[in-house]
Amino acid sequence: MGKINDILSPFTAWKHLVNEPLTVKKPLEREGADRYRGFHKNEIDKCIGCGTCEDICQNAAIDLVPVEGIETKDGDSGLRPKIDYGRCCWCALCVDICTTNSLSMSNEFKWIDEDADNFLFIPGADDKPWNNSEKGWKKPDYNLYDPNRVDMQELHPEDRDKSFIEIVQGYSKEQALKEADRCVECGICTATCPAHMGIPEYIRAIRNDDLEEGLRILYDTNPLPEICGRICTHKCETVCSVGHTGDPLSIRWLKRYIADQNPSERFKEILGTDTIEQNGKKIAIIGSGPSGLSAAHYLALMGYSCTIFEKLPLAGGMMRYGIPEYRLPYDQIDKDINYILSLGVEIKYNVTIGKDNTLDQLHKDFDAVFTGTGLHLGRSTRIPGTEHKDVHFATDLLREISLGNEIPVAEKVVVIGGGNVAMDITRSMARLQNQKFGKVNVIATSLESEDIMPADREEIVEAREENAQIIPGWGPQSIEIKNDKITGLHVIKCLSVFDEEGRFNPKFDENIKDFFEAEMVIESIGQGMDLSYLTDEIKENLKMDNRGRIIVDNNFQSSLEWLFVGGDIIQGPDVIHGIANGHKAAIGIDNYINSKK
Amino acid sequence: MKEIIDRLQELYPIGDFKQQNKSLALITVDKDKAVDFITRLKNEEGFLHLSIITAVDWLEKNKFQLSYLINNPTTKNSFVVRVMIDRENAEMFSIHHLWEQAATYQRELKEMFGIDFPGSPGVDKPFILEGWHEIPPYRRDFDTKNYSEETYFPREGRTKNVPAEYMKQKLYPDE
Amino acid sequence: MSKLFNIKEDRSLFPEKNEQGKIDIDLSSHKYLKLWHGPQHPGITGNMSLEITLLGDEVMDCETHVGYLHRGFEKLMERRKYIQCFPIVCRVAVPEPDFNEYCFASAMEELAGIEIPESAKWLRTLVLEMARLASYLMWIGGQAGAFGQGIIGQWTNYLRDSMLDRFEELTGGRVYHMYIIPGGVRGLLPSGFKQRMEENLKFIEQMMKDVERVMFNNAVFKKRSVDMGIIEKDWIYKFGITGPNARAAGVPLDVRKDNPYLVYPQLDFEAVTATHSDIYNRADVRRRDLLMSVDLIRQIMAKMPQKGEIRAETPNVLHWKVPAGETYSKAECTRGEYGYYMVSDGSEYPRRINVRGPSYTHAVSLLEKMIINCNLADIAGLMVSLHTYPPEIER
Repeated sequence: MGKINDILSPFTAWKHLVNEPLTVKKPLEREGADRYRGFHKNEIDKCIGCGTCEDICQNAAIDLVPVEGIETKDGDSGLRPKIDYGRCCWCALCVDICTTNSLSMSNEFKWIDEDADNFLFIPGADDKPWNNSEKGWKKPDYNLYDPNRVDMQELHPEDRDKSFIEIVQGYSKEQALKEADRCVECGICTATCPAHMGIPEYIRAIRNDDLEEGLRILYDTNPLPEICGRICTHKCETVCSVGHTGDPLSIRWLKRYIADQNPSERFKEILGTDTIEQNGKKIAIIGSGPSGLSAAHYLALMGYSCTIFEKLPLAGGMMRYGIPEYRLPYDQIDKDINYILSLGVEIKYNVTIGKDNTLDQLHKDFDAVFTGTGLHLGRSTRIPGTEHKDVHFATDLLREISLGNEIPVAEKVVVIGGGNVAMDITRSMARLQNQKFGKVNVIATSLESEDIMPADREEIVEAREENAQIIPGWGPQSIEIKNDKITGLHVIKCLSVFDEEGRFNPKFDENIKDFFEAEMVIESIGQGMDLSYLTDEIKENLKMDNRGRIIVDNNFQSSLEWLFVGGDIIQGPDVIHGIANGHKAAIGIDNYINSKK
Repeated sequence: MKEIIDRLQELYPIGDFKQQNKSLALITVDKDKAVDFITRLKNEEGFLHLSIITAVDWLEKNKFQLSYLINNPTTKNSFVVRVMIDRENAEMFSIHHLWEQAATYQRELKEMFGIDFPGSPGVDKPFILEGWHEIPPYRRDFDTKNYSEETYFPREGRTKNVPAEYMKQKLYPDE
Repeated sequence: MSKLFNIKEDRSLFPEKNEQGKIDIDLSSHKYLKLWHGPQHPGITGNMSLEITLLGDEVMDCETHVGYLHRGFEKLMERRKYIQCFPIVCRVAVPEPDFNEYCFASAMEELAGIEIPESAKWLRTLVLEMARLASYLMWIGGQAGAFGQGIIGQWTNYLRDSMLDRFEELTGGRVYHMYIIPGGVRGLLPSGFKQRMEENLKFIEQMMKDVERVMFNNAVFKKRSVDMGIIEKDWIYKFGITGPNARAAGVPLDVRKDNPYLVYPQLDFEAVTATHSDIYNRADVRRRDLLMSVDLIRQIMAKMPQKGEIRAETPNVLHWKVPAGETYSKAECTRGEYGYYMVSDGSEYPRRINVRGPSYTHAVSLLEKMIINCNLADIAGLMVSLHTYPPEIER
């Protein structure tokens, strides 16, 4: 029976004879699935050309190429991915890792062409039929790198608002490794950093736990890592590619981690600066701020004998006398400066050029002069009442605090200004009020609304944590004085700060008014420079622009070839520009002296 | 699995015991004792199934590591028996008499790593490669990228830009 | 008389075997014919070739040649970061890439000490069973085709295509799925997936009844496959035979049962076995295994969590340093024990990855033995019945 069945059973296949065929009738019209990994798409304006897609592509199918109409600028390399479909394996890892989420894939998989070289195009820039396709592979719901920043340990507001001890406690090794792991090594940040630090490289050194190598990378471009690791304005973090869909890397804290972990007594050994061959040339540097120290450091490495002339009793300039200790402890400033001094740099303290010595004399005694005297003069709003004795400049008060002198503290204080200096004085005042009265009553008010306040975001947040009030968006009108005592500040609503061309041109609504009670007003709306040490003779030969700034070339050389100028009086104001200026000026000085031979 | 090793420890110099997971343990045995040891595991301890024989090139230590992965189908446990041999004139005793497929593995190792197994059937015959004149390609010192660059040619129309360098060139070429 | 093949004619004319059990072949005697079967031949699975020596229609000697698809993946992986190996591994065995992805990912996760989320485990199991199903469907067409039944291949390839449609919507790719990423999987089930899958499964079951009637209850197929190409039970360990080839001989080797991985312990199934590993029984074991896959897919879809995390947190894949160590991760593929032996030296690049494909033993040492005395016309059927994939031999 079985055998007969085996002969008859196969004939049951005939029952399918009348069935419709199951083939796909028009394969060229078949649509890919919603998730299909087809030809690439790229939102070209969202893409920043970070090249992470290229890095992950195991087939080397992606090249980054310039695209017409896309400019290279801060945070955008100006390059865009070009994909070679002779190599692409459609794995879509490039989409999964895309830092800006601009790259995706359409569900289109049909493209017939006689010329194989056409299968090489720039998604988003080249016009393709699938550019507007909604379907296709998009970044899935997971991350191939961690988009979230490792939180920094900070003192709790209650533990910090009465004293000047450092708030930010720095990363532990585990935290630093975790944070460093998030870097995609695109290097977009390097261009934005004024000193063009090797950021991806030193972050890699952290990952490899080679902190000595990390320190060497830091000192290549920045001789003040402890300081910069704390108070750098970290422009790099604003362009970090990882920041586009997550938190940017904590580049500043990672730099601090490297500097903190290397013991200062080993710096010379690690950096290989035990012996430096001297060339016998002498350079004078006016001001021991970031630019002066940076210039001195790089000049000393080249064998120059450098002498810094400092007006105040200690070195550091604004870093010591402008920035409160809770942000930048003095021992950390000393760590950086002591290393520079160990290279043979000499500092003459309490010497004011123009009073104790003259620029002409320096010109005679030294082969070249660098000046980086900074912005130490306060600027006034000049509203009625600013001439009162209880109206102060923030820079003056901050300097007095650092010098250890007692400063006047009132129960109610208003600070005018929205930058980092305003925050510094606001938070310093809050601490002093807490010490003196046991409570805080300080208001900082700025023209700028909160979203465009120039101060760092964390400064504003932390100031509020310390019970200071930050009230942005008001224009100061006048200081009310009764019985020779300040009673408060009249303000009107500020509608906009900049005009359409981006110029400073504030607009106000005079009908919206407010009044902030105060017994003391502090102005912090910017600083001015004191160039009184320039003699008339020098001034005559020195080219200056119409705003009184000295004109310098790319090497920070002024029109007087022996005089180099840098720091806040040229660029900034901030530390990292000063460092970069000092470094470039050092190279400029070296070139200048070599050309004289 | 530790129990087996403890029992055999007296007879064979077994080192580096590591219980990698529930059913897999790693051990290292001297070259001279390895075949004897594997035979013992097969015949007395029920490790009847040979999964793979492969090699790892520890170029920096000048050693090859041979890994024999053997499995006991009853207890479902496996051992990776590791044998370190010299990289120069690399040679190992054949186990083709224990498992039929061993000869194929050994033939491949000869071709890809240059490890000889004297007496293994067909060990000198090419297995995967044909007309190969370079050093055995799975050795660490054979550079595949270099080989492909020398042998093939790049596609025209490809250019390479590194974002950071390109930005330097565009934004601050002189610094 | 050959033990392997039911040859009944007078064999007195055939040469005597020498001491090694082989015959002395003198090609100049004009008695023998040397023939290359493959690498391009419809009766060969994939790209490999058999150098056979025939006496009449009967194979006297055979040597297998591989290397036509050698891409050096193991070496390439040593020069790539771990994540960059992920798109490569699936290419080791084309019809079932997922086993490669799973073994690679799980070896890496074991070394890195990463536990993947629960839903990822279920989804991984699902795609592994889908791959098994799709691969068997393709194989069954090959087995039937080798014995002249073209229609079966047409049916089952359509069925496989319907599975590829499901793969396409779940993973974004039809053939190379690149779905089981180290740390988890790359997507949840799309909406309506289960329903469409159930329709596919129903159709597969229905068509498999037809396949049973037309292929398995078929006098011609039985004539050519019953008692043909027998694998003796005592060869199993001697040759390292695994999977259906071993199970058909009554040795229940199934990694899913022996060393359970993913969610297999939570699924209800038994290793499919037979007692007599001839071509017919091996085919039948695979057919039943196929139907078991259908059942397993149903079980998975009924029990799996509806949502949840799909990928564990891992270090940044661009510089993932897997801790130094070595491990062997295995899974049961359609052909048997599939394994990845991974050695890490603690760097960003794997030190060594060795792929164990079951065909390595089945298609070389075993086939070379079994093919002796086989009729030329039966070679294709014999080879397919061992279910060999050349790319996993040469990688």
